[in-house]
Amino acid sequence: MRQYEEANDPLEPMNRAIFAFNQVADRYVIKPVAEAYVELPQGLRDSIRNFLRNLKTPIILANDLLQGEGRRAGETLTRFLVNSTAGVLGLFDVAAANGVPYHDEDFGQTLAVWGVGEGPYLVLPILGPSNFRDTAGMAADWLADPVRDWAEDHDKSWANWTRTGLRAIDLRAELLETLDKLERTSLDYYAALRSMTRQRRDAEIRNGARDQPGAMPKIEIEDDDDPPPQRK
Amino acid sequence: MTAMLRALCLLSILVLVPLAPAPGQAATPEQGAAFVKDLADRALEALGKFKNLSKADRETRFREVMHTGFDIPTIGRFVVGPTWRKASEAERARYLELFERYIVQTYAARLAEYDDEKIAVAAARADDGDVVVASQILRKSGPPVKIDWRLREAKAGGLRVIDVVIEGISMAVSQRSEFASVIQQGGGEMAPLIKLLGEKTGG
Repeated sequence: MRQYEEANDPLEPMNRAIFAFNQVADRYVIKPVAEAYVELPQGLRDSIRNFLRNLKTPIILANDLLQGEGRRAGETLTRFLVNSTAGVLGLFDVAAANGVPYHDEDFGQTLAVWGVGEGPYLVLPILGPSNFRDTAGMAADWLADPVRDWAEDHDKSWANWTRTGLRAIDLRAELLETLDKLERTSLDYYAALRSMTRQRRDAEIRNGARDQPGAMPKIEIEDDDDPPPQRK
Repeated sequence: MTAMLRALCLLSILVLVPLAPAPGQAATPEQGAAFVKDLADRALEALGKFKNLSKADRETRFREVMHTGFDIPTIGRFVVGPTWRKASEAERARYLELFERYIVQTYAARLAEYDDEKIAVAAARADDGDVVVASQILRKSGPPVKIDWRLREAKAGGLRVIDVVIEGISMAVSQRSEFASVIQQGGGEMAPLIKLLGEKTGG
């Protein structure tokens, strides 16, 4: 079997149960909040996103460096310096407007670049689709985050909760239409999302490069001219 | 003896393989690029320009575009995987009929986000007898969306799209994985998949 076809989901029954729970939480809490959020002015939402991204700079920069991506590390640093000053504490993405667009990184991707396999598929409560490697990466990023650390040391846990909540809402709001359509058109929403998040993740690990092996799946058809089996 | 046979095999492979993809017939990357440009323009037009038309009318137009541009039977054959071999002639025919409706519905829904947008073809290359075309949808706001197309010469002749990869997500691979899950839950048979496809497409 080709690598991209393996579901790699030995925990499927548990994952499906958590997925069902997440869908209920999404339907009654997360999605309504995201729908209310998109009613806010676009400019305000953009600034919230820019601010959150700027706060993530230490994590992105560290992972750029750990992956040996010098040029991207330079971009991250440039963006931070420009956006924190000219962009008023990160509220405006002046750097992107001047040709240095945002890119994300996390320790899960770094582990992948180092050759760590993704491990079994894992649906996390509330957080959604992941795998063993990326869950470990997420925990490492969380522990290593100096911004979170600083807030906690200064009795500002509320800031961390607000930040986490806003990140979740911003992400969910961006996916409102996409996920609605996917759920409506798919035959098995769970399986569709499993395949798509994994492919998307692989693309992120490649930093979007399109000319690497695996970037473009081959479409191979087996035994095309087999006659149908004889039946009564 | 065996060594000589092995050498002979190797030799015949070396001689035969370069002849395998019929030379002269294979489409050039340039043709692929032009094909995608034309197809995407027409598809986006069908989705965008006729916004005032009813959903059914737009779907009819989009279906026409898909028919001329996509090799739907080949995609249908790929996404159902090895289960095809177990299916009867009648099941295969019914499946392909429903799949055609399903893929038009799905692609129209998922590509509809990009109506009113412009497409720029970035590069095209040959890939194992296929042509792979890289393109970008340029949006009014936000970064461009990367869309890659895999084209193959159809049995009946002419280039046809067999896969669309949006930001690294292959439509064909996603559907194949999804269908595999449906088939597996249905006991490895084609019938439950056909039933579900029928429900989804209202046929």
